[in-house]
Amino acid sequence: MWSYVARRLLYSIPVYLGIILIMMGALRLRDPVSAYLGKNATAETALLKKASMGLDRPFLPIGIEDPAEPFGIEPIVEVGRVGFYPPLRTQYVEFLWRILRFDFGTAERPYRSWQFESDNVGAKLADAVWPTLKITIPALVLTATIAILVGLLSAAYRGSVLDKTLMVLVVLGMSISVVVFIVLGQVFGSSWLNGKLGFELFASNGYEPGIQNWVKYCALPVIIGVVVGMGYDARFYRAVMVEETSRDYITTAVAKGAPRHKIIFVHMLKNAMIPVITRIMITIPFLITGSIVMEYQFRIPGMGKLLIDAIVNKDFPIIQTFTAVLAGLFILTNILTDVLYALVDPRVRLA
Amino acid sequence: MIAAFKRLKASRGVGKFCRNRLAVAALGIIVLYALVGGWVALGDLLPGRAGITYAQVEQPVWPTPINGFGIPATNERRVEAARIITREVKRAVNNGEGFTDIRYGLLHILPGTADSDTELDRLSTLIEESEDLYDQLSEFDDLNSPEPPMLDDGAPDPDSIDVPSTIARLEGAVRQMFAPLSGWQSLKQSLLHSLGTDRQGRSNFLRVIFSIKVALQVGIVVAIISVLVGTFLGAAAAYFGGWVDHAVVWLYSTLSSMPELILLAVLVYAFSGSVFDKVSNPWLALVPVYAAMCMEFWIGPCRVIRGETLKLKELEYVQAATAIGFGRFYILLKHVIPNTVHLMFINFSLLFIAAIKFEVVLSFLGLGVKVGPSWGRMIQESTQEVINGIFWQIGAATVFMFVLVLAFNIVSDALQDAFDPKHVG
Repeated sequence: MWSYVARRLLYSIPVYLGIILIMMGALRLRDPVSAYLGKNATAETALLKKASMGLDRPFLPIGIEDPAEPFGIEPIVEVGRVGFYPPLRTQYVEFLWRILRFDFGTAERPYRSWQFESDNVGAKLADAVWPTLKITIPALVLTATIAILVGLLSAAYRGSVLDKTLMVLVVLGMSISVVVFIVLGQVFGSSWLNGKLGFELFASNGYEPGIQNWVKYCALPVIIGVVVGMGYDARFYRAVMVEETSRDYITTAVAKGAPRHKIIFVHMLKNAMIPVITRIMITIPFLITGSIVMEYQFRIPGMGKLLIDAIVNKDFPIIQTFTAVLAGLFILTNILTDVLYALVDPRVRLA
Repeated sequence: MIAAFKRLKASRGVGKFCRNRLAVAALGIIVLYALVGGWVALGDLLPGRAGITYAQVEQPVWPTPINGFGIPATNERRVEAARIITREVKRAVNNGEGFTDIRYGLLHILPGTADSDTELDRLSTLIEESEDLYDQLSEFDDLNSPEPPMLDDGAPDPDSIDVPSTIARLEGAVRQMFAPLSGWQSLKQSLLHSLGTDRQGRSNFLRVIFSIKVALQVGIVVAIISVLVGTFLGAAAAYFGGWVDHAVVWLYSTLSSMPELILLAVLVYAFSGSVFDKVSNPWLALVPVYAAMCMEFWIGPCRVIRGETLKLKELEYVQAATAIGFGRFYILLKHVIPNTVHLMFINFSLLFIAAIKFEVVLSFLGLGVKVGPSWGRMIQESTQEVINGIFWQIGAATVFMFVLVLAFNIVSDALQDAFDPKHVG
């Protein structure tokens, strides 16, 4: 098993390098300097700003003829006529080195966000994780539990009125935009409901730390998140369960006279666990991303809102670091999922 | 390709699809949307004669917000609208300006009014009447629940005016300022008002219809390009194997290791801000959105078709073609890809839904459509209205989008059942 893990990790290296390359490259298609300086900046201040952002240095250590270095911040080692740029001073390699050390800014060696110039990127991300997790973890647990139940029920009573009603509801829910759920959920869940109740149960937006404030600020996003995620999950789990109902072991269980609830909840659920686990495992990295639209609309200072603000404000360090951490997490959970398979289901062999 | 379509038409899958009445009805709805979208798009080609232009959509059809389905607005709003129109007409009459600016949908002042004294006199009397009625109404503090003024002995004043009928007379006077509409025109005008207006008085109906074009445009462009690119790369990767396969797999594992919305948002950011933000042509302004979505969405079909091709290339007929000595590209284009057409159709309808939905999310976050209306922008703009209990705009956008996405969901389910029954999920 360990050799399998090692091989998978090795295969992931080019993918990871590619992720960072694509993300950094895509960001650098546009020049962010003018957005930070405004219209009246002189060419000199623009160059200075660019240098302070590190954007004056080449992106990749290949194909550099004569890199312009107007302020002589670091000398370029001249090798013959072709300017040789030290790889660690190029933007791409420098950032990779940062990821390798997991150094996203300390008090001594800062790595500043561009929009919040006094904050380190690492600290910004660490602050945003907790609010996000307070919403995504309950939402994931609730959605998965309810959706598995719905899927099981629907598959067990396939073709019945219950199954048909549930599936019609699911398709209807899937056809309405997430955004509409969030906007209407916010209005009815906060202003309208508070008006009916006479006190403020759910705030319409904002966030305060502390577990005692959870219901006020986080419960409504969690409820909306469950409703939104429900449709896709329930449909998927139903399809998985329907597939299981036609297996031989179910026929055997029925033949030997096992009670129906036991067939559904013991035999079927246990054997359907593989796709269920994959589905849940895949969503784990997205626990960190959070629901971007939700956080944006409810003004929750989580990862999703941080990211959208960073994109709008062209804050490259935060976007890059965010992607790097998330993609790393994504690759690791993928490997972990495959290992988990083998542990859950002895039929699966890691090769 | 044509032969492949003929074979497809005769296949069992098509028959199975056609027996699914719900799916055929859904397909009909999609065709209806496509017709409306195509008609709207004519506005760019034949402005003024057919279709809807961007300028028409942005024009207010009433000075104050109104409700849909002919539900009357509050008395205050109605009086306010009459006052605004009266003020505008009066200013035009006094300054001798043209009347071209005063236009609400199809309602406009009679052409040639500025030159004709009789018309100007008629307008002046109407303005006087309207101002007089407005003065009478302004005696009331709260027009929405008017209380008749009291006499000294506490009884209601018998001389006081009746508020509803006075408002009706005021609106009648204002209505007469505009040129009379023919039956067909007044039908169109009531259509413009049928779903209410947004806060700026722009017609929800017109905007929601115009958005059909935007949605279809995004859906069709993105789905076609993504499916073609994905199919070609997936089939080539599986068929050629070797470094081609490694490169394609590397590319899609890399792109799919980033969350969709993040990649889309970053790509939209990267591609916009160049030429495309400066053009006002709504066809070109969406290019960053197309590019970002295509870079993300080709992955789905690519994976599926790579898997299918791995199976296909072991089949006898491909081996036979190789043995005869056909070129590898020829076999790929002639024998492999045509046999994945059913998967291309399924993926097309899945990607179409995804593109429409992501357009809405991106526009909502302020990253998508920036010029002209779209369902996403309408929903985003309505967030300010729903707080005040006005649901006309969000309702219109949601219902129109819901019907289209539902129809596509039904069709793609039926396609999957008919052509790819073993698929799970």
